[in-house]
Amino acid sequence: MSFASWLKKRKWIVIGLLVGAILLSIPVPAGLTPIGMKALALVIVAFIFFITEPIPLPGVALFIAVSEALLGLAKPTAVAQSFMSDSVFFIMGSLMIATALVKQNLDKRIALAIVRVTGPCVDRIMLGLVSVSALLASFIGEHTVSAMMLPVGVSLIRFTSTDQRKVKNLSIVILLSIAYGAMIAGIGTPSGGARNAIMLAYWRELFDIEMGYFSWMKIAYPIILLEIPFITYFLYRSFTPEVKDLSPAIESMRLQVQEEGRMTQQSWTTIGIFLVTVLMWMTISDKIGLGITALIGVLLFLVAGVVRWEDLNNNVSWGTILIYGGAISLGIMMKRTGVAEWLSLSLLEWLEPTGIKSGIPLLAAMSVITIVFASIMTSGPTVGLLGPITLNVASLSGTSLMAAGFVTVISSSFVYLTAVASPACNIMYGSGYLKRSDFVKAGWKLTLISFLLLLLICGGYWSLLGL
Amino acid sequence: MKVLMCTDGEEYAEAAIQFGGRLAKEMNADVGVVHVRPPIAPSTRVQLMTARKKLGEWDLDLPGVDYLARANKILTKVGLTKVRASKGRRSHTFRKGVDGATELQLEGIHGENVRFRLREGNVVDEILEEANRGNYDLIIVSSRGHKGLSRYFVGSTALRVADLAACSVLIAKNIREDDNFLLCTDGSPLAEKAEIKGAEMARALGAKVTILSVAEEETGRKGAVRMARRAEMILGQMGIEATQKVRVGRPSEEIIDEALDHDIVVMGASGSSTVKKFFLGSVPLKVIEYGECPVLIFREKRGKISLDINTA
Repeated sequence: MSFASWLKKRKWIVIGLLVGAILLSIPVPAGLTPIGMKALALVIVAFIFFITEPIPLPGVALFIAVSEALLGLAKPTAVAQSFMSDSVFFIMGSLMIATALVKQNLDKRIALAIVRVTGPCVDRIMLGLVSVSALLASFIGEHTVSAMMLPVGVSLIRFTSTDQRKVKNLSIVILLSIAYGAMIAGIGTPSGGARNAIMLAYWRELFDIEMGYFSWMKIAYPIILLEIPFITYFLYRSFTPEVKDLSPAIESMRLQVQEEGRMTQQSWTTIGIFLVTVLMWMTISDKIGLGITALIGVLLFLVAGVVRWEDLNNNVSWGTILIYGGAISLGIMMKRTGVAEWLSLSLLEWLEPTGIKSGIPLLAAMSVITIVFASIMTSGPTVGLLGPITLNVASLSGTSLMAAGFVTVISSSFVYLTAVASPACNIMYGSGYLKRSDFVKAGWKLTLISFLLLLLICGGYWSLLGL
Repeated sequence: MKVLMCTDGEEYAEAAIQFGGRLAKEMNADVGVVHVRPPIAPSTRVQLMTARKKLGEWDLDLPGVDYLARANKILTKVGLTKVRASKGRRSHTFRKGVDGATELQLEGIHGENVRFRLREGNVVDEILEEANRGNYDLIIVSSRGHKGLSRYFVGSTALRVADLAACSVLIAKNIREDDNFLLCTDGSPLAEKAEIKGAEMARALGAKVTILSVAEEETGRKGAVRMARRAEMILGQMGIEATQKVRVGRPSEEIIDEALDHDIVVMGASGSSTVKKFFLGSVPLKVIEYGECPVLIFREKRGKISLDINTA
């Protein structure tokens, strides 16, 4: 490969590093310490890398670690410590638990259970798919649920018609029901998405706020329940399915599931351990930490022999853990070096002419910014980079820190527009049944609706809770 | 001869496969059908793999396999392949990792080699890579006809393949079974070879042949007539009958006008200029872009070119 083509492929590395070098060499702006300037340079370079992905994202996390040490922002040991925390344990444990659950092949039974309740009507099946995907995803994460439910959707489509062109809209509504159901629910509980763990880490490390599993659910779950009917309705209205009655597909599915036989002892054990873990999360995790609780669950799985280490090794996305470790480390450093505060002040100054100072309007502005960022990068790094800023803005303007944190996390899941930003959409897109334009067609409406619902909850329900 | 066809499961792609299948059968050519799946982002690889494993457990084909299965059906219909006797599941007959693709290999009725290949990555890169690896002589890419707004968005794949391929490319826009051949000559050696190739195909398919020569100005009409005669003579020696036509005007417009949507335009890749050896000349490019007709861009096979010219 010639140098020119290497340069072309890796141009964003060069551009990013150049921007970094320029930032390091210009005079330090008022209000920022020299060390803060170094941190700001790193944040901006990392930001460029997260968006353009010139190297794989876990590589960017490694870059953050190396730069933090080389720029003298922290001692090597401190860098390592900032990468691993209870929250990262929690992310790791949750991914492992999800892997163990997926291995049990419960998907066919779940599918059958859904259609048993809903009957053969498409609209009701959609509602069932959205609800079940949401329920599952709120505990084990959107990635896992969309991967698990994809075959359910595809087989419903294939059993209806083998000619894809005759069931275009049906494919869209069924697959997007699963994807969007999973996406809205990732924020339901702390274990629903790794970005939730980032926010928990920021609250704890930066502002000494402890948030329990159950109190998180109390605050965030109503949004999911509210969104489920809206999502179903708007999907159905945006793409009217060609076939309204899926009885033949359901019949074929029933036959297939009958071949499976009864649930095995192993499946029951897995479900039992999972429920015990969730129960521990809700009750005793305030004392021993969410991460440690998750690890207890994983240990129980290994002791019971329902999952082999090889399964965990192959099916846990270890890169994700690194990415989130890197994002949290960067966030902690932003706060410690004063960059977060400086950026927050600049943001408030910038918002001043619009009259946005605190409360709901400020939260709305945060939400819009988060949605924009989450649409161009993935949600994890978005929360990682924006979290310290939004929390600082909130603390400077006297807005509730909890509300600001929740708005950031929840808005980062409103990425219905693009197929790139969310893993759930990516998996559906990878099935070959959808076009990129399909995501846009339904996506903008859902983004708008979700945004308004969030503001409603924020102004109504949360103030009732005294957030 | 070896023919590579590309499918993305759309109707226009399948019309092209039908045409290509007939051509391959009549010319006894080896055939490859390739479908390129979008690439997997490294960050979701683990989940996508889980999803695929699950699809396997549900006895569902991987995405893309059914496009190839449909292509197989079409090739069977035109009489190139036989339906396989075994009723084993399709995806199980696909072997993984042959030359960087998942492959199903069949034999045609007259001993032709028929391969169905599933690749993953950037569409243009993968098609070119497939053509290079298999040493194909002709790539058939389909292109949505011009309808409304779509003309401004689609077809870039076809255009880029036509531009960067190392062999001849047929851009099968609005292709039909009973298409006739319109051979365009500008007197260059390349155009002459293109005529011969085009005429051979026309003979195999039993299609009519017209020779078109375009003069840019009225003063050049004589030269154009001479070129058309010469072409007719060459074809005559091959025993192929052709009518000749001479037009005056801008070449690309006149060709599009003459072909309308019922003729396959055959032309050399780079006109008479030898400078633009590696890129398409402006006339073929315009005909591809603005014409309603299928276009066969003839190229003498050149050595392997670096694919790095492409942006990834």
